[in-house]
Amino acid sequence: MAEEQKEAKPKKRTTATKAAASIGPLVKEFITGTLQAKAEGKQKVAYTFIVCHHEEIFRALDVVPVWTENFAGICGAKRDAERFLQRAESLGLSRSLCTYALCGIGFDQWREELGQMPPDAPWGGQVRPDFMISSGQILCDPRSKWYQASQQFMPDVPIYNIDLPYPLYQVNRDHREVLGYYHQYIVKQLRGLVAFLEEQTKKKMDYDRLRELVGLSDRTWNLIEETYDLRKAVPCPMGTGDAMNTMVPINFMMATQKAYDFFVDLKKELEEKIARGEGEVENEKYRLMWGGGLPAWYALNDFNYFNSKGASFPAETTYRMVAPLHEMDLPETKDPIEHLAWRWLGYWTFWYDRARKRPGSEPDVERLINRIEEYKIDGVVMHEAFSCRTWHVGLIWQLHQLSKIYKPIPVYVIGKDGKKEKGYRELPSLVLESDIIDITSYSEVDTRNKIDAFVETLESIRTSRAA
Amino acid sequence: MSFVLGIDIGSAQSKGVILGDQGSLGSFECASGGDFKLTAEKIREELLSQAERSVDDISRTVATGYGSKLVIFADEIKSDIVCLAKGVSSLLPSVRTAIDIGDLYTKVLRTDGHGNVHSFILSGKCAGGSGRILQVIARVLQVKVDEIGELSLKSKKRVEFNTGCAVFAETEAISRLSQEVAKEDLLAGLHRALAAQINSLAERLGVEQDVAMVGGGARDIGLIRAVKEIRGHDILVPPHPHMIAALGAALIARESLTIQD
Repeated sequence: MAEEQKEAKPKKRTTATKAAASIGPLVKEFITGTLQAKAEGKQKVAYTFIVCHHEEIFRALDVVPVWTENFAGICGAKRDAERFLQRAESLGLSRSLCTYALCGIGFDQWREELGQMPPDAPWGGQVRPDFMISSGQILCDPRSKWYQASQQFMPDVPIYNIDLPYPLYQVNRDHREVLGYYHQYIVKQLRGLVAFLEEQTKKKMDYDRLRELVGLSDRTWNLIEETYDLRKAVPCPMGTGDAMNTMVPINFMMATQKAYDFFVDLKKELEEKIARGEGEVENEKYRLMWGGGLPAWYALNDFNYFNSKGASFPAETTYRMVAPLHEMDLPETKDPIEHLAWRWLGYWTFWYDRARKRPGSEPDVERLINRIEEYKIDGVVMHEAFSCRTWHVGLIWQLHQLSKIYKPIPVYVIGKDGKKEKGYRELPSLVLESDIIDITSYSEVDTRNKIDAFVETLESIRTSRAA
Repeated sequence: MSFVLGIDIGSAQSKGVILGDQGSLGSFECASGGDFKLTAEKIREELLSQAERSVDDISRTVATGYGSKLVIFADEIKSDIVCLAKGVSSLLPSVRTAIDIGDLYTKVLRTDGHGNVHSFILSGKCAGGSGRILQVIARVLQVKVDEIGELSLKSKKRVEFNTGCAVFAETEAISRLSQEVAKEDLLAGLHRALAAQINSLAERLGVEQDVAMVGGGARDIGLIRAVKEIRGHDILVPPHPHMIAALGAALIARESLTIQD
């Protein structure tokens, strides 16, 4: 059997906001909550995935979600994923599959083999579910296979799969032509989920309660937008390092009053920091955007390293899984299920119209350009996590397209005739390479050497900018 | 009269350049060994000896490279990316893309002709695609590293390597030798595989001509030819390509003096 050794604990990361610092205990609390719910047996506990717009349905039927990606991320952040990855490998699964999935499968197999939690399971461990809801294949392909693999070790636990597609971008075709068909399909999928959960919980859906929860989520979406917009301030009061914490209420606590209140507090904190002129870094020299890729959870300290060089991260694309609802023009409906489906489609097609207006652009590239301009960004950092195919598809392509169609930096270059010429260049970019939780793919020395070189590049561009 | 040093402590080889007001007064290369501090001292001594100067004559030292933080007498540490851009632009100002073949990494950077970097990319943690593979293969074939290039040019029937991984390449080379494959054909195949990886890395960043190759790997004429073949255009190679980062470091040291003055 695989070696079952834990790795050295990482140095604790410093956060810029109190709100971000409060996330660790919050996550621990809801992991404990899942264990408690299972022990008490009053509520059903379900494995599921983030970004499926189905939290409201879960909560309306008092189903406790166990976010399996989140648990794998916790193992990664605690540098305690390797023993679960090795277990999955010993089952014949390749490390080049999603390491979140491998970690979860390895953990499940071990827990089922022991009939109890593996020794020193992070924060008490991942609870045995009553059922599993897989979903979101268009977003992330390993998702449905993950639970099928886990089911091999718990054959009594049923899986229900929901399919949530959205029309893919076509430059010459208005997605609204087919949006209605997608909407009907998603509504049916969500109604199927309701029926499955009703059967499992022996409860009937209370649609008034569901409507309230959907309304609460919508208000939280708007509040998140308003809160994150505050990061446009110079100096930036909160960076991506913190946002990798504050993604928790967005992605794991949606449709709860606690998530809403969290952002009320964060917004207030940011407003106070801005009033005091207090930035994420003391002397902000460079403003960077985390332009894509899930982070290396065991190496979030690297954000502090960027900060130590005067680099702040006012914006990111990763985990900001909301968009301004008032700009979506969602059709009016009193049916909360229909609204969830419209919101899903509105979110995923949000950048389509904007992208069509800029030749050579594409929704993800358009989103990058928007953030670069709105947040006054000097450079883009991306992370290629080798086991995450979802983000790999198009990350480098996005950078290439960005550099082709968007050249905001005026510079003088030496022309072929040896004379100085004024031209425009793309924003500098840095691609970090490792993995979400597989620490064997990571080298701190190499990563920091890359960061050093990137910061020197930013400085070089700043000094060579043409007037 | 002022004198500056540029010292590049690489993972395999370390290099140094001493500049006076009129240009280079000397350069030196040696194996990095296991003690980078000692190696840096040795390079400084040698450079001072070549220029017939003492430590007190040196106005500024800039260190770069893998072991740069251990050059304790350096006034400043700069990343090798920045030094490479500065060095290559000083010799070949038309270059917009520089490919550095080092022992641990291959690096590709885009520059503007003034020595300013606009973007860059490094090969990953794995040594595949770096110059390390050339050393590995030299040991297997029992030839000197600096003979590899010339030897590969004699190839009549290039072997197709199935891997770019340094470890797998060693295994594959040994198995091919057991099939009595000629050394030159094996080397030509290895150059091709390495060139393909280098090209792939360069394309990820985006290539703008002119293109130069620098670093220790750029002394390998067979590798240069293979990269030219794959890319389909000329590749510029400055004199003493392995010294470019050290030269860039020395130029940065001199620029700092000018700014201070």
